[in-house]
Amino acid sequence: MSNLSFPRPRQSEVGERLRTEVREFLDDFDWRGDPHAASAFGGFDPEFSEALGARGWIGMGFPKSYGGGGYGLVERYAVLEELLAARAPISAHSVADRQSGQLLLRFGSERQREEILPGIAAGKSYFCIGMSEPDSGSDLASVRTRATKVDGGWLVNGAKIWTTNAHRSHYMILLCRTSPSSQERHAGLSQFLVDMKTPGIVCRPIVNIAGVEDFNEVHLQDAFLPDEALIGVEGDGWKQVTSELAFERSGPERFLSHLSVLEEFVRVLKSQPSAVGTRALGRLVAHLVTLRRMSRSVATMIADGQDAALHAALVKDLGTCFEQEIPEILRLALQAEPDPHAADSYRAALAYVVLNAPSCTIRGGTKEVLRSIVAKGLGLR
Amino acid sequence: MDDETREMLHQTAESIFADGPPDLWEVLRSVGIDKALVPESKGGVGVSWAIACELLGIAGKHAAAVPLAEAMIGHWLLDLAGIEDAELPTIAFSAPLEPVRLSRSGDEWHVDGALVRVPWGSACTHVAFISEGPAPQLIVVSRRASGVSVTPGQNLAGEPRDDMTLEGVAPLAVVPAPFESNSVLAIAAVMRSAQMAGAIERALDLTVDYANMRVQFGRPIGKFQAVQQSIAVLATQAAAARAATEAGSEAIDVWIVGEDESLMRSVAVASAKIRTGESAGEAAAISHQVFGAIGFTEEHELHRFTKRLWSWRDEYGSEAFWADVIGESILGNESEKTLWRTLAPTRSSLDIGATR
Repeated sequence: MSNLSFPRPRQSEVGERLRTEVREFLDDFDWRGDPHAASAFGGFDPEFSEALGARGWIGMGFPKSYGGGGYGLVERYAVLEELLAARAPISAHSVADRQSGQLLLRFGSERQREEILPGIAAGKSYFCIGMSEPDSGSDLASVRTRATKVDGGWLVNGAKIWTTNAHRSHYMILLCRTSPSSQERHAGLSQFLVDMKTPGIVCRPIVNIAGVEDFNEVHLQDAFLPDEALIGVEGDGWKQVTSELAFERSGPERFLSHLSVLEEFVRVLKSQPSAVGTRALGRLVAHLVTLRRMSRSVATMIADGQDAALHAALVKDLGTCFEQEIPEILRLALQAEPDPHAADSYRAALAYVVLNAPSCTIRGGTKEVLRSIVAKGLGLR
Repeated sequence: MDDETREMLHQTAESIFADGPPDLWEVLRSVGIDKALVPESKGGVGVSWAIACELLGIAGKHAAAVPLAEAMIGHWLLDLAGIEDAELPTIAFSAPLEPVRLSRSGDEWHVDGALVRVPWGSACTHVAFISEGPAPQLIVVSRRASGVSVTPGQNLAGEPRDDMTLEGVAPLAVVPAPFESNSVLAIAAVMRSAQMAGAIERALDLTVDYANMRVQFGRPIGKFQAVQQSIAVLATQAAAARAATEAGSEAIDVWIVGEDESLMRSVAVASAKIRTGESAGEAAAISHQVFGAIGFTEEHELHRFTKRLWSWRDEYGSEAFWADVIGESILGNESEKTLWRTLAPTRSSLDIGATR
């Protein structure tokens, strides 16, 4: 069982200094638009993203030669925590910052890195993830979107779905087949850097149950990608995408996305004391601080170059179940009807988490898939 | 303490507990694990609280029926009271709303009152506790002193939890306590959490082994996804318990050298007991479910772990008790700071102030 121990998280002086700077920035920046907007990660706001980029808080881990800050992952983590906790509008750049940039840094060509990374770091270049398809959700290796080799490049045909921000992103990291599926189902997959302006790509936003358009259906019909669009090695797509998922699963967004309703809950309890509410708050805080420690521990592991795929899966499962449970616990403690349009910000925040809760344990890997990964790691097979 | 010494302590503890000799407590005493927290200059080992909790985790992993947590804290308190060479000190708390009374006539102190569910209260040689009130006193009483009477009791696992009545007892020592009784309760809660985290890990190990071995419908039950999903949840609870316990034990080390008055106000400490206690319930339920009928028998060893978990989660404050502590502390905070900024202060834990 020793492989499931979580190392002591590392705290860095630089990271804590950055934390203070981000707090000052957030206190001063006039970004709090509509407090009732029911959007994940506080909304899509290019102006805010560019302001963060100008401060050097996007692509922090990129080397300075690519416009990054040359920071470690632990420092980046401190900055990201603050942005998420304040529910700052980071949705525009968050995918690029969290995983696409890391992927290009690790597997991309020199030309791709030089062309793309500075734009990400400046908060001007936004990405979406072309993984899921109508018939390939949890079973990602079954993707059928296909790139066929033609002179000077590839012709892509197929469809992606649940692609967050596809309609307002500049690029997609596309996972598709480059050779027919065989016995070895993880073989024959490749990743491409796709310019979303490429002719043949059509996005259709899908409205979610909260009434928000943030994910999409993306059709690719004879979309031509030049040879230079291939990321890494043809046929290595599965290996590359797995490493990308560790970044997607390990971050603080997996336990902080419902923090705003807890802040509101504290505000209400201060004026309306309740023994049940006090106890509920204490319990939720205990879960929150424990998750935070585990998540920081995973960041420390990745920063140290250790394989954290199993740990990340475990923390995402725990974190998203916690997020999902928050509205249920609050409901037992305080009588309030959720209403996204309520003038009372607690009820509006409650409405947001109630409606967003089902997605927590689905996006970025369902809890069932994550638990299968954990079970395999335990030696159950 | 360097990593090598720490590793050596781990190995020593692991081999003694795994061996489980009939005179386990005597063997543990002979290597001085009970005095792990006493400074080396006083004949102890001088380990940090984090390491002491790691050793307790190993004890919990083996469901060792010994008063190690209480003796560790007891020896540490006795050292503060200037008492050496105690054989088996334990710690105690008075009943809620019925504080122990300390009185003085001339040069002599007298203690009256009740101490409830004292671990190994009958078998111990000394009891250490702190009086309530504005000027808390650290009090040490000899088990054999006149006026001490004990009513034996047990927890679900059969560990002694004895009620102790003190009538005009002359204590061995009374010294001004450097902290309140609540801080000792907080320490004890973290140490219990460490034992629970160890017992949960063992329940997980046993469960994984059994699921891989037990065959039904022609294959090991661990091949069924329904069973795999349950055990994955158990593993997740085990990891959370351990992480919460480690955070709590590190908070004791920070508090010891810091200036904060009560350890009870530490969110990490309260969270350790809450999170581990919750994991304990879930882990016990899942492991029993996977073991089926055999795990429900007296003969099988699973209950040695699960009964301890069901008892330990309610000792030194249940999840509800500590959740109230955190909730009250956050809601009682007058500052305008957000919840997040209260929980994630920017002050670096590296620049802690004066030594206690």
